[in-house]
Amino acid sequence: MSVDKDEERSWFWRKIGFWFAPVKAGALGPEEWAKVRKMSRTGKNRRTRRLFALLWVPGLAFEIAVSLRMVRLDPWAGLISAAWLTILMGLAVRALRIGFAQVSLEDRALMEYGAEFDALKENQRGEIFQRAVRDGLFGRVNVDEHEAELRLRAQGAAYRLMGPALVVFVAVYWAVCLLGPFEATRSALAVTAVVVTWLAALVLAAPTMIRMWTQPDEPGETAAVAE
Amino acid sequence: MYNRTMSLHNRIAVLRAERKLPRAALASSVGVNPQTIGFLERGDYTPSLELAFKIAEHFGLPVEAVFSPRPFRTLSEQVYELRKREA
Repeated sequence: MSVDKDEERSWFWRKIGFWFAPVKAGALGPEEWAKVRKMSRTGKNRRTRRLFALLWVPGLAFEIAVSLRMVRLDPWAGLISAAWLTILMGLAVRALRIGFAQVSLEDRALMEYGAEFDALKENQRGEIFQRAVRDGLFGRVNVDEHEAELRLRAQGAAYRLMGPALVVFVAVYWAVCLLGPFEATRSALAVTAVVVTWLAALVLAAPTMIRMWTQPDEPGETAAVAE
Repeated sequence: MYNRTMSLHNRIAVLRAERKLPRAALASSVGVNPQTIGFLERGDYTPSLELAFKIAEHFGLPVEAVFSPRPFRTLSEQVYELRKREA
């Protein structure tokens, strides 16, 4: 398909198909390249990432709502639905992680061909684009020290948020178990509340316990200084 | 709460421009992602000692010529001062 046949392409090709098409010389027209580069730049800025982070909350609410509806139909269907939606979310999170480590098309052009993206031949642009899509789907994240530090910081922040949230959750769980209208099942519910409390305590104490296990012996003052 | 906030100034961007060294080449030479070099240049990331030494070694300079806890004076100022001192 050549560039000058833009108007002959179907709506599907112009909107969606070109993202996945095998790229050969002249496969994408100027309009499509502009879209590709705009999308590549948009995905790299903080505003878009924050938008995705905000969309994750309703996404999670949707997942819970669907699973609850399925549980009412059949408990096993609820389990399958929850597992399936969790796998989908896991894949989405993996894709986001891979995306963090991907460089822009412009940087790829400089890295792979030592030239600006605009200066490349059509088939070179195509190869870069194809590799970017492939890496975005199946790539690995090279965890260098900066990536590792960002991950650690994010995990630390998540854990700090989770601590108080777990305490509130356990308190609300106990309140519902003890004060809710569940006369017939109150004692069974109280057992689950004990288990939930135990799990929360385990999670909150885990970092200290891991440190207790892994911290080396305390180094004493060296003899040369102590004498 | 401990927070690693001390910012370390660096001359990586200047040294790269001087030597026409692409970000990817420096990144692969010191074993990090190309984005990490960008974050370093922008001052968004303070490198480990190991990485700082690797970068300095790559440019063949002492580490204090590439990284400093205080802002660097511009190279032109330093060259001018040196010439004045020599004169």
